Amino acid sequence: MTRTPTPATALETLLPGPLGLAGHRLGTPQQAGALTMVPIAGPAHPGFTPPRTGLKLTRVAGYGRVELHNGAPTGVAIVPLHIGYIQDAAQNHALCRSAFLAAGQSLMFEDACCVQQSQGGYLTERDQWFFVLPAELRARALELRGVHGYDKLWADIADLNARCGLARRGHLEQILSRKRPVLTQFQSRLELQPGQVGALFFVAGRFTGLEIAPDPRYFAEMWTALVCFAYGVAAWRAEPAPPGPAAPYEASDLAGLRGALARDRAARLAQVTGWLAAAPTGPAELQEEDRYLGLRLSTLTAPHLAGQIVTDGDRTVYASLFAR
Amino acid sequence: MDDTPTFLAHLETHDTALTLPRGGDLTWDDADLHRAAHTRDPEGYALLGLAPGVLARQRARVLLQILAASQAGLDEPTRAVLARVARILTLALPPAHVITVLLALRRLRANHKHTTRTALRFVLEHPHADALIAARRPALRDCFEHALGTAAARGCARRIDGGDTGSDYLRRRLLRFLTDPHAAPARVQALYAAGHPAGHTAGQAAGRDGAAAPVPAEPALAVDDARHRPPTVTATNRGDIAATLVHLYRGGPAADLHAALGRHLGAAVAAFPRFEGTVALVLDASASMRGYGEREWAVLSQAAALRMLLARVCARLDVIEVGGGERDPGGATDLATGVLDALGAPGHAPDLVAVVSDGYENLFPGDLARVVATLPRAGVTTPVVFCHAMFTGSDDLRLRRPDPALPQRGFWHQDDFADLLPWMFGHCAAGAPWLRAALHARLDDLDRRAAALAA
Repeated sequence: MTRTPTPATALETLLPGPLGLAGHRLGTPQQAGALTMVPIAGPAHPGFTPPRTGLKLTRVAGYGRVELHNGAPTGVAIVPLHIGYIQDAAQNHALCRSAFLAAGQSLMFEDACCVQQSQGGYLTERDQWFFVLPAELRARALELRGVHGYDKLWADIADLNARCGLARRGHLEQILSRKRPVLTQFQSRLELQPGQVGALFFVAGRFTGLEIAPDPRYFAEMWTALVCFAYGVAAWRAEPAPPGPAAPYEASDLAGLRGALARDRAARLAQVTGWLAAAPTGPAELQEEDRYLGLRLSTLTAPHLAGQIVTDGDRTVYASLFAR
Repeated sequence: MDDTPTFLAHLETHDTALTLPRGGDLTWDDADLHRAAHTRDPEGYALLGLAPGVLARQRARVLLQILAASQAGLDEPTRAVLARVARILTLALPPAHVITVLLALRRLRANHKHTTRTALRFVLEHPHADALIAARRPALRDCFEHALGTAAARGCARRIDGGDTGSDYLRRRLLRFLTDPHAAPARVQALYAAGHPAGHTAGQAAGRDGAAAPVPAEPALAVDDARHRPPTVTATNRGDIAATLVHLYRGGPAADLHAALGRHLGAAVAAFPRFEGTVALVLDASASMRGYGEREWAVLSQAAALRMLLARVCARLDVIEVGGGERDPGGATDLATGVLDALGAPGHAPDLVAVVSDGYENLFPGDLARVVATLPRAGVTTPVVFCHAMFTGSDDLRLRRPDPALPQRGFWHQDDFADLLPWMFGHCAAGAPWLRAALHARLDDLDRRAAALAA
């Protein structure tokens, strides 16, 4: 079997300073249309509740007020940054920030945002599925953490809808539900690696996001929401036209063909490494937001990116960072 | 048989009508293609008309071609096969198609002994002959008169009208072509019952009493098995083998399920002749093949069923798994390396490389297409085909065609293997005898069913 070489780039190139990612390693990139995903393997931190099976939205107490519950018997839940819930015939909501929820604990998010301008009704626990806000909205949503006002993201959602060629309304459902068949294909077009705990995402060659989960199960439960919605929307907007007829390699036998393929792949890996190196850098600022035992949840702000991270001492347990 | 896959694909896709406007010329847009295929290999050509999935309009062309062409120079076994195929097609096509073919033969002034026999048996011995004559009397009378020659046809009709049922004249001119001479006289009478034999009513549908009667639309014999498609496709209603595998993958009782698997596989294998060659299967066992939610295991189980079937049908099957393994699917999809590995060492190339995948190529997209495009200049002549593993027949494949230039065919149900295997094997030289054997077996089976119709 021909093995594809792994890019040797350290994550520290992109993220100097606060992120202790020494144990994390980049795998072989995968591509689907405009979306490139570089899998990240790394240590599995025990004791965290996975977000889909463990964390439930229990009620919406009023527009902009969302209660989550960690139903797991043990394990702290890190609420995924910018998670949102969709349910038929109810107002869809998303959160602007992450948080810790101890086992059995419920927490009311007073600063949630409604992402559906005109649909009445409140979400309840039945038949809900979750997403992560599209990358295009994440910087703004993060800025609005702590701000009360259910309609605070409507203008940005309306802008994004307009850029998608949809009606200019504060209705994220126009993208998430109506474009769901094409968006959900990203969870098959890109494939989760065994043991994967995170990923770097590039859209059309530009760094778009970095996601790190505490363990492979947590990341697997986030996979759909991340590839289809957080990064899939931008990738869908940039989907290239189908390629023309394939150009043959210069090769006169099978060994030559294997060599040509390997060289071509090495060049494309170098290109992805180049994208990473080309991502802008700058000093990052950390602001602590929440703590649970030895865990710290902080907001990271830099000229080129923003997001939230969870650290345990000098080790990064969770990160959700996106280009600004 | 180098052109077999192309020609078979044509028979399965080229769906224009064969038309015969009154007073105009026969419209047969792909006549050259049919003539050339028939000339190359008359028996193989005729048998291909029976291949699963061939369009009715193409089967009508095959019937027309074999009836229009002379059999001079063909040996007796070949003539016998052509006659049997022609007979089956007259029963397996909607009767209106057959009537068009017979009228076209008249227009082409094609008349051979084998043409006469087939035409007479259709007009006088079709299981729905009485209804057909009632509905299309003038047209069928034209066919009858063309088959026998107008003078002989009318001579027979006059004698039958006078009470003759077995004179030497009748036997020599008419009855010797038939298998059931007893039914013929009444039907010949019916052909001429509505008026003068030279009446100018060809093409009109008039019943015995002058009222229009509908032409029976359904063929008397079904060549392709009717597919029972469930209204809602699930992971376990896609055929017995895949359903059993899904339960095994989900952790069902292994002993019972393995026993059932053996039975289902045995039954499926029995439908195919043995392929005396080597197939290299590039099996996509990546994460997307496993699927998720209610569809989990659906696509992979059918791909695994195909693998098991091929393992029993082929003299040798080499499997190159891509991503994870069949029981532990996962990871990315590198189809290009899979194909290179499948081609093996120089001098040990398989007869056929078949890629079985859902089409989500991500490591890297486009590589399969570039590798396949390079194969000819790398001296590789092994055919490569792409078997598209789908959840249902209506999957959206727009983002799932890693190499649009590869011959490709989808499958999602076990029933699809009946079409898929002939299509796959048809692409390689070693598949020619397999295809012929498979189609001969099909012809034998159809003959038995046709005989049961007449009984």
